[in-house]
Amino acid sequence: MTENTPTFTPSPEFLAREKRFNDAVSLTKPDRVPIVSLAGVFIPRYMGMTSAEALYDYERMNQAWKDAMVKLNWDMAPLAFVVFPGPVMELLGLKTFKWPGFDLGENATYQFVEDEYMLADEYDEFLADPGDFTIRKLMPRMSKTLEPLGMLPPINWFSSGYTILNLGAMLAGVPPISNMLETLVKVGQEMTKFTTGQAKMVGELAEMGYPTLASAFTEAPFDWISDMFRGMKGVMLDMYRCPDKLKAAIDVMTPFCIQSALMVAQQTGNKRIFIPLHRGSAGFMSDEQYAEFYWPSLKKVFMALIEAGLTPMPFLEGDYTPRLKYLAELPPGKVLGHFDIVDKQKVKEILGDTMCFWGNVPAQLLVTGTTEQVKDYVKELIDIFGDNGGLIVDGAVDGIPPESKPENVEAMTEAVFEYGVY
Amino acid sequence: MSQSLVNAIIAMREEDALKITKELIEQGTDPFEVLATCGTAMETIGDRFEKGEAFIPELILAGEMLKQITDFLKPLLGDGKQAGDALGTFVLGTVEGDIHDIAKDIVAFVLEINGFNVVDLGVDVPPAKFVETVKETGAKIVGLSGFLTMAYEPMKLTVEALKDAGLDDVKVIIGGGQVDDQIREYTGADAFGTDAMTAVKYAKQWN
Repeated sequence: MTENTPTFTPSPEFLAREKRFNDAVSLTKPDRVPIVSLAGVFIPRYMGMTSAEALYDYERMNQAWKDAMVKLNWDMAPLAFVVFPGPVMELLGLKTFKWPGFDLGENATYQFVEDEYMLADEYDEFLADPGDFTIRKLMPRMSKTLEPLGMLPPINWFSSGYTILNLGAMLAGVPPISNMLETLVKVGQEMTKFTTGQAKMVGELAEMGYPTLASAFTEAPFDWISDMFRGMKGVMLDMYRCPDKLKAAIDVMTPFCIQSALMVAQQTGNKRIFIPLHRGSAGFMSDEQYAEFYWPSLKKVFMALIEAGLTPMPFLEGDYTPRLKYLAELPPGKVLGHFDIVDKQKVKEILGDTMCFWGNVPAQLLVTGTTEQVKDYVKELIDIFGDNGGLIVDGAVDGIPPESKPENVEAMTEAVFEYGVY
Repeated sequence: MSQSLVNAIIAMREEDALKITKELIEQGTDPFEVLATCGTAMETIGDRFEKGEAFIPELILAGEMLKQITDFLKPLLGDGKQAGDALGTFVLGTVEGDIHDIAKDIVAFVLEINGFNVVDLGVDVPPAKFVETVKETGAKIVGLSGFLTMAYEPMKLTVEALKDAGLDDVKVIIGGGQVDDQIREYTGADAFGTDAMTAVKYAKQWN
């Protein structure tokens, strides 16, 4: 299945790659260990572009994606929509990111600006009317362009033809708001350029025989509140100061975390959902806190996606060793776990019959190591996880770091083709 | 020493900790003694953090309690210096191009509760700024924080800049989730750490 190409007839190569991937996920031995990467900005960098160019030149970026697949011959193309469009972010005046080509150096990594976008004493307001709070408080705080939304009266005031006319139409003519609306038209046009390009790229990759890993992502509800609303410091104080409100906010966002993933899966036909996890790994909180605040809503997300026939693909960033026992509660062969730093033997022992292992050639090796070190690591992965087919090879953190030595990424790929045939 | 204040802080009973502090002062306890009591509680929390019995929420809340207590005590302390001098100066920052501050802030916090004077340069700190600050403060230890793999290069450049400025005797520790001994060697740093307590361990060793 692929996006926007209803007439697409998958080639035998395309089907073979999908099967190889699906077999590994369902813990069935495929013909060979699959290699599929989350690699984002590595791809354009590998093809000779700067990070800034990747965010600003959609055409060249898409071409780089296709060229890299021909060169590396992985089983799937990395995530689509992962390199964000710089011009759209500029038009939106997004305060939540810094990125190369705008306010960071040309080969910097785009970064999220964590802040208390919702203050501790605003939980009640958010919980009373999440939509209203999002429109009038959160959006103006996150986007310079959307600041005029803060001028709006409570959104439920617009609940009649009279108020739409007298209040709504009048506000549309107030200069800050009409300027905002004009900018939003440009945002829409620019974003359409980007998304059309991405959909075309996904279609062309499919014609070339390469499925695209995923087009949708979601988050753990706890992370959503922590990353997007309260910041780490804020949310961790809330765990002590207002635990019930924190849990209520998590409950409010849980259906969103599920439904947004279902919606994109339905639109694109791609059943794989990427879920980067942030604050649940070792060191951030105790096991008891994980069980109380983090895991219950995340498990709901996993189970809802699985029930809808989708494949959740969590990126278990940091050291996930102490949480493996929670992941073991998930049904076997349905979830693909992308690991960063973890005790691999423990993963095999605790999750070997539950979850396909995806990863985890260390960033340190890819950036500064030798090809031999990389190949040895891949061999070790195959030795540990190969016996039941539950292995897909990739780098560890976010796939492959942009700064990786090309020869090391090529060595990782060669090692899979050399040693990974079952 | 007020055991009830120590207990309140360790048990994360924020309101009680503040209430007990006020009561102690009303009863005529020397504010410096109250501060010392807080120090004892913070050491226990630091120990628990090191042993994996306390985590980031506890460190953050303990820091908040300490801040509220010192804010309350400040007017009562006069010009008197806090008991005991700082162990030494530690210059800390997230390297150029990286804007992540969470891990750096935790390192700063545990260094402070262990008696170091921390000069925190913030995030996205260019090599020249580290050099300048080391010269100004005479610090002998520098901590370079970085969350991204992109940080390897600026870490290396910062170590080189310190050497080029003739600051060869300054010890450098790099820290972050994606560093190891191979990256330490690559950057030319003296040590690496993936958790906050490692910074304290080396700082004490080097001091």
